Amino acid sequence: MSATILTEESLVGTTGARPGAMGFLTDTTLCIGCKACEVACKQWNQLPMDNFGLTGFSYDNTGDLGASTWRHVAFVEQISDETGQRPTSLRAFQSNWLMMSDICKHCVQAGCLQACPTGAIIRTEYDTVVIQQEICNGCGYCVPACPFGVPELSISDHKVHKCTLCYDRLQDGLEPACAKSCPTDSIQFGPVDALMARARARVSTLQTRGVEGAYIYGDQAVGGTGGIEGLNAFFILTAPPEVYNLPSQPVLPQTKVLPGFTALAGAALAFGVAAILALREE
Amino acid sequence: MTDGYERKWENRRVAGRSAGDEARDSYYGTPVIHKPHWKWLIIFYFYLGGISGASYFVAAIAEHFGGPHGKPIARAGHYLSLAALIPSPFLLILDLGRPERFLNMLRVVKLASPMSVGTWGLTFFGGFCTLSAMIQAAQDGLFGKATLLARLLLGLPSRTISAVGSLFGFFVAGYTGVLLAATAVPLWTKAYRLMGPLFLASALSTATAALALILSLGRSSHESIKRLERLERVAMLSELGLLLALRSTLGRTLAKPMEEGHLGAVYRGGVLGMGLIAPLILHARSVLLRQPLSRGVASLASLLVLGGGFCFRYVIVLAGRDSADDPQATFEITRSEDTQR
Ligand code: SF4
Ligand code: SF4
Ligand code: SF4
Repeated sequence: MSATILTEESLVGTTGARPGAMGFLTDTTLCIGCKACEVACKQWNQLPMDNFGLTGFSYDNTGDLGASTWRHVAFVEQISDETGQRPTSLRAFQSNWLMMSDICKHCVQAGCLQACPTGAIIRTEYDTVVIQQEICNGCGYCVPACPFGVPELSISDHKVHKCTLCYDRLQDGLEPACAKSCPTDSIQFGPVDALMARARARVSTLQTRGVEGAYIYGDQAVGGTGGIEGLNAFFILTAPPEVYNLPSQPVLPQTKVLPGFTALAGAALAFGVAAILALREE
Repeated sequence: MTDGYERKWENRRVAGRSAGDEARDSYYGTPVIHKPHWKWLIIFYFYLGGISGASYFVAAIAEHFGGPHGKPIARAGHYLSLAALIPSPFLLILDLGRPERFLNMLRVVKLASPMSVGTWGLTFFGGFCTLSAMIQAAQDGLFGKATLLARLLLGLPSRTISAVGSLFGFFVAGYTGVLLAATAVPLWTKAYRLMGPLFLASALSTATAALALILSLGRSSHESIKRLERLERVAMLSELGLLLALRSTLGRTLAKPMEEGHLGAVYRGGVLGMGLIAPLILHARSVLLRQPLSRGVASLASLLVLGGGFCFRYVIVLAGRDSADDPQATFEITRSEDTQR
C-alpha cells in the first residue's frame, strides 16, 4: 500500500484542543495485544457480548468498534509486505505484527456531534464527546457522520452507543477503565497538551531508535484534518493509517453543509425561473 | 423499528479472497466507516417528500403566473402535495430506533445538521402545505358555501401563503441530497455540490409527471398539460446532465456500487433507461413532429418518469450504503488532497 501522508511541518504535533481538554495517547509501539482495555471497558460499562465466534482475522474477534465494543484492539499480521512478498527482516518494535487499541477519537470538531438532530450528543467539561442515552432517539444520523466509523445503533436498545471517555469515572476523579487496566501504558490518559508534548518526545525517541515510520495520528497534519482540528484521543503509529483502518486525511462532513445548501439554492433559483417560463400565461 | 442492524464483519468476506489478501490493502476488508441503517422507509420518504415539495412550488408558480390555464395545475398541485406529504412523518418516525422519542427532534435547532434543519423545514412546510390544500378545497366548495370553516379559509391571503410556502417546498424537495452529502459516505459526500440539485431535479420531474398524469385523467385543457410537459422536459434534461456530472465526479472506484450487479442494472435500466431516456424520446418525437402527445403515450411517459424517480432514490441510498462498506472508496477520498477543498 502506498499511502502518501501529506504533512505540513507546521501542523505536525498541533491540535485545536480547547484548554483543559482531557484525552488519550495510545502508543501502539507499546501494545502487546492483551485486550485488557477491551475487557475493562466492557466490564465497567456493562456492555453486552459481541458475536460469539471467530473472525479468522488474526487474534481479532471483535472486528470493529461498535455499539458494544468501545475499545477495539486491531491485530495486523504483516504476512506480506507492500510488494506482496514475505518480509525477510523484523522491524524494531512489534516485529511485523502491529497491534493497536482503537477508540472514539473525541474529535475537537466532531462530525457525530454536529450531525445529531436531537442534541443528544454533547461536549463535556473535559472536552470529550458523549451521547446522552436518555435523549438519543436512534435516528442513526451520527453513524455515517463519523469519519472514523465509531458510533453504531445497538441491536438491543436501538439507540447509538460509543465510548464516553468514562465520563462517570472522570467526574469521580478516576482514570478511565481502559487506561487503568493497560499493563504496558500503551494507553495513557491525561490533559491533551501534556500528552501531545509527550507524544512528540516519544516519536523522536522512536525515530532515533530506528523506527523511522513513527508519527502522531490525530494532530492537524494527519487524522485531525479537514476541519476536524485534531483528536483528543490520538495515537502513535508506525505504518500508514490505512493499515490500521484509519483514514489519513479525513474531512469533517459538515464542511459540506454550506456549499451543499448554496448549490441547492442556486438550483432552486434556476428551476424556479424555468417553471415560471414554462407555466406562465403568454 | 429495525430489529437487526447487520454487523460489519459477518457477511463481509469477498469470495475468492483470503484474509491475507484482504489484509494487504486494508484491515481485512473491514469498512472504515459505518453505513447508515436507512432502507425502504427512507427511500419511500425521499420519493414522496420530493413529489410533495416540488408539486407545491409548481402549484404556487402556476397560481401566480399561470393565469386561467394555471388554475388546474395549482389545484392538482396543492392536493397532490398534501397527499404525498401525509405518509412522510410516519415513514420518518417508523425509521427511528426509538419512534416514541420522535419529538426529541424538535428539542434543538442546529444549522450544521441537515437533519435538524430538515425536520424544522418539513414541519413548517407541513403547515403551509395543509393550509394551501384546505384553502384549495374551500375554493372548490368542498367545505360548503357558507360554513364557518369555508369563510375562514377563503378569507386567508392564499397567494401570500403559497408564495412563502413554495420556498419551503423547494427546500423539502432538495435538502435530502445535502443531508446525504454531509456524511462520510464516499459516494454521497464526494459530489456534495451535485446532491441537492440532483434531488431537486428528480423531485421536479416526478412531480410534473404526476401532475400531468392527474390532469390528463381529468378533463383539463390541453394547454395546461402542454405547459407541464414543457417543465417536465427541462427537469428531465437537467437530471440527466446532473447524473452524468455525478458519474464523472465520482470516478471508477466510488461509482462502482452504482454500476455493478443488481444496483447497476436498476441504475441503467430503471433510472436512465426507463426514467429519463425513454420518456425523453417520446417527448422528442412529439416536439419534432409538432404533434401533442396522445393521451395514452403521455400517460405512459409520466408513469415511466415516476418509476425512474423511485429507482433513483433506491439506487442512491443503497449504493451509498455499499460504498460505505468499501474501505478502498473511503481511502480514496481521504487520501488525496482534493477532499480538503
Ligand atoms: S471519532 Fe466519531 S464518534 Fe468519536 S467524536 Fe469523532 S466523530 Fe464523534
Ligand atoms: S442516533 Fe441518537 S445520538 Fe445519533 S444522531 Fe440520532 S439522536 Fe443523535
Ligand atoms: S474511556 Fe471508558 S468508555 Fe471509553 S473505551 Fe476506555 S473504558 Fe471504554
